[in-house]
Order: sequence, then structure tokens, then C-alpha cells
Amino acid sequence: MNAVLGTAGITVALVASVLGVATLGLGLRRRDPRLLRAGMRHAWFVLAGAVAATVAMERALVGTDFSLAYVADNASVTTPLLYRITAMWSALEGSILLWGLVLGGYLALMARRFRDRSDDHLVAWAMLTALVVSAFFFALMAGPANPFEVVRGAVPTDGTGPNPLLQNHPLVAFHPPMLYLGYVGFTVPFAFAVAALVTGRVGEGWLVETRRWTLFAWGLLTAGIVLGAWWSYEVLGWGGYWAWDPVENASFLPWLTATAYLHSVMVQERRGMLRVWNLSLLAATFSLTILGTFLTRSGVLDSVHAFSNSSVGPLLLGFFGLVVVASVGLIGWRGDLLRAPGSIDSPASREAAFLANNVAFAAFAFVVLLGTVFPLVAEAASGDRLTVGRPYFDRMTGPIGLTLLFLMAVAAVLPWRRASAETLHRRLVVPAALATATLAACVVAGVRGLTPLLAFGLGAFAAATAVRHLVLGVRTARQHGRSRASALVGRSAGGMIVHLGVVVVAVAFAASSTFSQSRQFRLAPGETATLAGHELTYLGLEQAVHPNRTTTSARVRLDGGRVYEPALNQFPFATQAIGTPSVRTGLLGDVYLTLAAVPDEGEEAAVIGVNVRPLVLWLWVGGGIMLVGTALAAWPGRRQRAQASPDRHGAAAAPHRPEPDGTGTEGEGTRAEPVEVPS
Amino acid sequence: MTAAPVRRGVRRAAWLGMGLVVVVALAVGTRQPGDPPTELERVEHLTAQLRCPTCRGLSVAESDAPASQFIEAETRRRVSLGQSDEAILAYFADRYGAEAILLSPPRDGVGLVVWALPVAAAIVAVAGLTLALRRWRRAAPPPLSEEDRRLVAQALAAEAAPAGGDGAGGR
Repeated sequence: MNAVLGTAGITVALVASVLGVATLGLGLRRRDPRLLRAGMRHAWFVLAGAVAATVAMERALVGTDFSLAYVADNASVTTPLLYRITAMWSALEGSILLWGLVLGGYLALMARRFRDRSDDHLVAWAMLTALVVSAFFFALMAGPANPFEVVRGAVPTDGTGPNPLLQNHPLVAFHPPMLYLGYVGFTVPFAFAVAALVTGRVGEGWLVETRRWTLFAWGLLTAGIVLGAWWSYEVLGWGGYWAWDPVENASFLPWLTATAYLHSVMVQERRGMLRVWNLSLLAATFSLTILGTFLTRSGVLDSVHAFSNSSVGPLLLGFFGLVVVASVGLIGWRGDLLRAPGSIDSPASREAAFLANNVAFAAFAFVVLLGTVFPLVAEAASGDRLTVGRPYFDRMTGPIGLTLLFLMAVAAVLPWRRASAETLHRRLVVPAALATATLAACVVAGVRGLTPLLAFGLGAFAAATAVRHLVLGVRTARQHGRSRASALVGRSAGGMIVHLGVVVVAVAFAASSTFSQSRQFRLAPGETATLAGHELTYLGLEQAVHPNRTTTSARVRLDGGRVYEPALNQFPFATQAIGTPSVRTGLLGDVYLTLAAVPDEGEEAAVIGVNVRPLVLWLWVGGGIMLVGTALAAWPGRRQRAQASPDRHGAAAAPHRPEPDGTGTEGEGTRAEPVEVPS
Repeated sequence: MTAAPVRRGVRRAAWLGMGLVVVVALAVGTRQPGDPPTELERVEHLTAQLRCPTCRGLSVAESDAPASQFIEAETRRRVSLGQSDEAILAYFADRYGAEAILLSPPRDGVGLVVWALPVAAAIVAVAGLTLALRRWRRAAPPPLSEEDRRLVAQALAAEAAPAGGDGAGGR
């Protein structure tokens, strides 16, 4: 029953995708609006098919229908309900199904959003592109990654359950779906970019259509990455949250290129420049999501996440290649249309800062991509197996990250076109003074090391310019009789709040990775050990038998207060025991306890791991601030402004309309500030 | 009118002062402590560069796996015997194979590519950015002169005048 429903759903979605592509193609050829309208409607059938297949899969997992191979491999009667539900994304086939469901949702949103513009060829080409992507993924499910494959022979009475790491923490219910919502969301701007190239309408119209989609996908991807780091911290038991693991990198790569795009797109809107670059960034972001899926799901890389192994790998790699070739080909073909007349007048201008920001983000993405795929390439070329791990990534990305912090501080105050020394001084002197004071205070307080000091100082700098921007925005709003809250809504203010979140994350990252201390202690019951001023007393072991696992936990009293219970879980089908760390979270830092080893037979002493990490909590808080900022930036409404004007003073001619994207927040008094007067 | 140069001087002094504070603070903050690293610090430093053989992508320092605990104990023993960092890393590279035990690639042979390529790319990118900015700057229209401003003001005034002017207000 489940297999039939699921297979039917996938077939419907696949057929609808293919028919939709054909109908739209025909409609575009014949310029027939009826066919185009009909083609758009196929999106709803894709969604319907995907929903049916998902319902079938969840029904099978929750009802432990072991006649399905996927259920037998990823669920067990003893698996708790939550982890039976989340088992849908515990392995390859179910993950692709989740991908298909999310893509179906985005397709339907597109069809709804543009239902009145189905005869617009730009929209039709965008939908066609998105349907091609969906056809690929549903074809995967119909063929090599079939989630509804039926068990051959007798139906087993029980299954193995999900990978133990995936049934150990409720965050597993949120991290993958968020990540996929972000990943798959980049399909929409990519589809519009392709449509703009194909139709030759490479002006700014398509950008406006996709701006909010990109921001939405970016926000969800950010949430997915932060939740992934949090999951890793709470589950993996090594005390860290980011290991530069290939799969983490795979999620981070499209984030980097999308972040670059969100900045450079403003240059295009404002000045009409960087068209090729922006299209390339969107194409890169989308292809990196496919590459990421390939890395994650084909098991080609050594990785804690490579839970699966299948023939899907070559197909994903082939699709990645196709996307890259098609994008490069289209951009090359339309090259002449893409040339823009604008120019950047001064290095001290917002557009120049955005350009520098883009170079830095591109370099960041390049380093991460190189480090991630280099072992593969080297192995294929020379047979050498080498590892590119944390020391490499830390060394190479640290300077880029600090550069980005600096640019973030400066770009927020730079006006478009050019800034005079007077302007720079007036806008930067207070933030710079605060940054200097922060740096000096850190040194006095005993902070040592170039990276953390620069991170704290530049963090203060960036935070100060962002706060300055927000304060001026609020003041302008008050002068115009609007509420304070209204000044926090919109792209400019939202962007600044995102920046504040980034600063919080950067500071927490620098502090927690530089100043953490860890040690293992072999303790007999009653013994006490001390690390970084924290005292831990081992009280003894406790054992509990759960339906799906056996848990051995160590009772550890921390600083004479509460008792924490780091544990080791033995799952029936796993060889290695899975740890569950126990963490005391604090505003200033965490104490992270693990049970490294249970005492041997006849012995008493257990090995307790302790990790003292400052400011970890602020990583998650910063992530939350970034999300709030994204939501404010994407908030619909109130955005109204003159057509992108080549000159600021042209825009300023529209009276009493503070521009929500930055330059206007200087307040009415400073708006008439003269262009640089040579002295 | 004498206020402007004074203000400019104060401004310059403020930035110079801040620059000085930053330089001094960074100099103090990054000075290596005079005493050599303790044995514990050396062990931590070394095990962070060694890869846990049985886990995936973690260093020996980060992992609790038995193999890591063994390597850590061996590192501690060798450190306490007074061996140098290089000698200890070479020992493990010899014993487990350099590719298998080192967490980041060696800076020679194939491994050099992964270190050198980003640096080369960064140089090219910065050079390209500088060149592009310079070219654009040269192509940019010259800044407005006082004469231009006067003309614009005149034109605006003429446009604002109800009679429409004699054509001087046109463009």
C-alpha cells in the first residue's frame, strides 16, 4: 500500500515535470499563452506527487512497514516515534525525497506568485528551468535512488533503525529540513537567471523578482548551518561545533557565494554594474548545492556525514557538470548584452567596498572548495591519499574572515560613488575609537594572540558602525513622525541586524576556538579533578536500558553544585558506542563533559573528558540574530524609491523620502552633503 | 576661516593616536611569552596536527577514540623524553604514513599545490581589483568644479522661476 502510493506519487511528479517542460517549451515556441498557462500549472501536480510520496514514506516509517527496504534499513520497532519520522532524511533515498518535496513546494510557490504573468516569457523560461531540475530529481527517485524499493523475499520483522548519531538528539528534526529549504530555494533565483539569459532580458527586472527568494533561501540555509553546528556540538562529543568536515563545507560553500551575491546585487541595482558577476554567483550557488549533494550523498569523501553510498553519485556529478556547462555557455553567449557602462569612481565608495567584499567571499569559497575536493583530485591523479583538515582551513580562512569583518565595518558607512575625507572621518571616528578601546581593553585584560585580538577589535568596529546606522535610521524615522519600529524594518536595517549577528558569531567563534581547554581525567569514584578553575567530582556510574539503546552515564558533580551525566549509548546494530555529552551552558562559557571510557571489568576508574569553552552560547544567539535580521530585511512593504539613479543627488531630488537602503539614513540634515570638493 | 586647518589637524591627530594605540596593543598582545611552552602545551599543539586514525576528520586532540588516546599517550611520552616537535611528527608520519596521520598536507610535493594555489589566487584577485579600480577611476568623469555648481544652481533657479526664463534654464 505504502509502496504503491509512494511510487505513484513519484511517477506523478516525474511525469508532471516532464510534461510541464514540454508544454512550456511548445508554448514558448508557438508563443501560445494558453500553453504557457497550462505549463505553469504542472507545478501543482509536482507538489501533489511529492506530498503523496512523502505521506507514503512517513506512513511506512511511523507504521514500521518493513516491506519497504528503506524502512527496514532506517527504522526499527524500538526507534522512538520522533526518530522514525526523521528517518526520512537519515539516508540517501529519503533525503532525495525530502529534496523533491521542498522543490515541489517552491515550484508551487512560483506558480502562485507568477500566476498572472504566465505569458511572460521570462517567467515561462524560469518555470521551465525549475521543472527540468525537478524532473532530474524525480527521475533519480524513479530509478537509482528509489525510496520505495520493496524488500525481496520475506518481510523482516524488525529493522536496524537509523544511524545511531541520527537518533540521539531532537535537533535532527530541524537541521536537515532547514538546510534543504535553503539549498533547494536557490533553484528559484537560478531559474530566473537562466531565464534572463535565454530571453536576453538581462536588465534588472529579473533581479527584483528574485531578490526576496534569494534572501529567504539564504536565511534558511543560515539557520540550517547554525543548527548543524549546534547538533554537532550536542551530539558528536568532541566539544567543537565545526570541524571543516567535507559535508559542513558543502553546506557552507553555497552560503558563501549567496552571501557575496546578496551584496553585489545591490551594486547592480544601484549602478547597473556587475551583471556577469551576479549571474555567475547565482549559477555558482546553485551548482554548489548540487555538488554538495554529490559530496554528501555519494560517499566519495571521508566524512562523518557520509552515511550513504550509491550509484546516484555519477548522476549527480553529471548534473553538476551540465549545470556548470550550461551556465557558462549561456553567460558566454549573452556576453555582449551583459556589458555594463558604469564604473567605480573611487575606492572609498560603497560599491568598491562591495566589490572587495565579493573578492574576499570568492577567495573564501575557493579555499574551502579547494580544501574539500583536493584530496579527491590528488587521489585520482596520483594515488596519494592525503588529508586536508582543520589546520589548513584555519590558517587559510582566518585572514579572509578578518578582512570581511573589516569590510563589513567600513562598507556600512561608505556612501555610493565616493566619500570625502570629511565624511569618512565623521562617520568612522566614533566606531574606530570604540574598536581601539576594545582592542586595548582586551590586551589589558590579558587576551593574547593576533587572531582573537583582531577579531574582537574588528568585531567592535563592525558592531559600532551597524549600531550607528540603526540609530540614525531610528532618529530619521522619528523626525518623520514614523514609529521607531518602522526604522528597523527593511533591507538596510535588516542587513545591519544581520551584521550584528555575524559579529556575535565571529567573536564567539574566535573566543571559543582559541581559548578552549580540554583534558581527560581518569577518576575513581569520589575523586576530584580541576581544569581552568572548574572542579569536577566523579560520583559513579549509572546504567539504564532503553528500548533502542543501553545507556551508561557517569555522574559528575561540577563545582560542588549540580550533577551532570555524560553518557555512552550502545545501540544494537552499532559497533562503536555513541557518546552523549552533558553541557553546563553559561553566558560566559560552557563546561562540556563527556564519558570517554567506561571502566574495564573489575576496575573503578572512568575516563571523563572535560572541555571548557568560552562564549559558545553566543554562536547560537548570533545565528538567531542573523535570522531576525533576515526576516526584517525580507519584510514586504514600504520599499519605494526612485528608479535606480546614476547620481545620488538625482535620487535626493525626490523630496522627503528617506531611502531605506543606506545612504538616506544619514538624516535629512546630512543628505545634501556635497560631493567631494577638492581642497 | 582659520578653524578648518585646525580641525583638520585635530582630526589627523585623532587617527594617528588611534593607530598608535592599535599598534602598541597588537605588539603587546602578540608578543611571545618568554618562557618555553610547557610539556602539556606541546602535547596539545602536536596532537592538534595529528589525525585520529579511526574517526573521520577529527584530530587526535579532539577525539576520545582509543587509537587517539594511544597516540596522545605516545606523544606525551616522547615530549617528556625531550624529543623535538619535528622528530615526533616525523616518527608518526613514518609509522602511520604521512598522508594518513597528518591533518593538513605537507608543504612539498602534491601537498604544496593546495597551499600555494589560494595564495596565488589571492594575489591575482587583489591585483585585478586594483587594476580595475584604477582603470575605472581614470575613466570616471572629472569632479565638479565651482563653475559647474554655479551653472547647475542657475539652471535650477531658472526652472523654479514661474516665467520659464529665456532658455538659460534649459539643458
